[in-house]
Amino acid sequence: MNAVTHDSSLDADARAAVTIGRPADELRTLWLRPDTQSRIWSHFADVTPIDERTAEWVAHGPAGGEYRWRTELAAGGTNELRWSSSDGADVANAGVLVFQPAPGDRGTELHLDVRFDPPGGPLGQALSKLFHLVPREIVLKALYKFRALALTGEIPTTDPQPAARKGGTDR
Amino acid sequence: MRALCWNGVNDLRVETVADPEILNLRDVILKVRLTTTCGSDLHLIDGLIPTMREGDVLGHEFMGEIVDVGREVTKVKRGDRVVVPSFIACGQCWYCQHDQYSLCDTSHPKPELQEPLLGYPTGGIYAYSHAFGGYAGSHAEYVRVPFADTDCFLVPDGLSDENALFISDAAPTGFMGADFCNIQRGDVIAVWGCGGVGLMAQQSAMILGAERVIAIDRYPERLAQAEAFGAIPLDYTKVDVIEALKELTGGRGPDACIDAVGMEADGTGVQHAYDRVKQALYLESDRGAALRQAMLAVRKGGTLSILGVYALMDKFPLGLLMNKGVTVRTAQQHGQAYVPRLLEHAQRGELTPAALATHRFSLEESPKGYHMFKHKEDGCLRAVFAP
Repeated sequence: MNAVTHDSSLDADARAAVTIGRPADELRTLWLRPDTQSRIWSHFADVTPIDERTAEWVAHGPAGGEYRWRTELAAGGTNELRWSSSDGADVANAGVLVFQPAPGDRGTELHLDVRFDPPGGPLGQALSKLFHLVPREIVLKALYKFRALALTGEIPTTDPQPAARKGGTDR
Repeated sequence: MRALCWNGVNDLRVETVADPEILNLRDVILKVRLTTTCGSDLHLIDGLIPTMREGDVLGHEFMGEIVDVGREVTKVKRGDRVVVPSFIACGQCWYCQHDQYSLCDTSHPKPELQEPLLGYPTGGIYAYSHAFGGYAGSHAEYVRVPFADTDCFLVPDGLSDENALFISDAAPTGFMGADFCNIQRGDVIAVWGCGGVGLMAQQSAMILGAERVIAIDRYPERLAQAEAFGAIPLDYTKVDVIEALKELTGGRGPDACIDAVGMEADGTGVQHAYDRVKQALYLESDRGAALRQAMLAVRKGGTLSILGVYALMDKFPLGLLMNKGVTVRTAQQHGQAYVPRLLEHAQRGELTPAALATHRFSLEESPKGYHMFKHKEDGCLRAVFAP
């Protein structure tokens, strides 16, 4: 392992939670629909379902690098979903999504925890730099997109859009 | 299509950009009939709001005709003349269902940009930086409107485009500000600012039963419009506002104070000089003269209703609020909760938003319109563009 991946501030354990005004079983069914995963993770990786339990992930890193892995859904309880990457993954990772009843009429709380474990060496360093900036954002954005999909049937987007020229910079 | 694009601080140009398209099934495309400047645009143009990008199409207050509809749009159709609130709301989430539409949980496409600043993302808004969603604005021939069934409101026959236009933003923002005051019989309401939002807040306070409305500004033509609406005008450069308000309220102070000014407040004296210097040096983003005065003026146990747009003001005299037991209400406009009622008030002539439209321009002339609006030339209250 190199110095970057040893740094505890790397925080490759990304957690986020949202509350969605729908019952847990409905949300669980939506989460498991093959096209849902590809839609909610599109800011991070191209996800292609292989079968009901397995999916192929391709993440695009800096400088055009591609990182691939396959995830498999594990057997779990009715109030959670667990998955982890198979052997040989470019980016080993494991996730757990827990469904909890929200208080009052608020629906269901979704707690998502994804542990990224980049390997050492030059590739691992590159990934660490990439994930150092964004692991929580990756997870939070996926949950926000899932909430929009569950409540409205669509994910908000402005892409493609004419609001700004490509390559425009923040001021 | 042609559109007014932001290219950097104080650099606006009309350019040819790609036409908007239907991206989601509940979108419509609107052919813009009228679109207008808003004081909050000046914060963007002046570079006080981060995450603007070169080429962003400005404009968030507009009305127009539907020319294309997504497959799942059911309540509006091609050819409908509609007005659209500036915040985009899905109508399905907890916030929308509690009439807090500008807090919509699902309409922000880039929540990761805003969540670190605010803790939680708001709803998306047209043309108000990428931290607020990055949606293309309405100073263009066409604009894409998501969630059309929730966000498009039919303009009744007989109501002019000019009257409908401001029911997109200035009128619902002002009405919400008056609604926040929970106006009771005998209440006196003071409104800082006689721009579009302030004037609409004044008319709204009267509709909601205020005994007396006091309008505070420095520009004679704006104060004259407030007086024409029935408010008592106060020129803060000519009178001591705090003393004048005590005089007008028998020493009680206004029951509620509405700040319709925001972060680029003019003012007088040492505090204003301090604010201008700090803002020029980027030591603070906000000049809060109006807000501070409203906090001092409001009666004990009264309400402070904040409509002005602020960023991250420092030196905020919280003790005034705490010791006087003041209730603070504030929000970006929850327009969808108010538009149907406002259309009715406008039809009955109780609300007259068209009075705000002092200057009209073509889209090609819109940079000139913003210049006039910003510098309040020729009594410009709002510049309206007809693409």
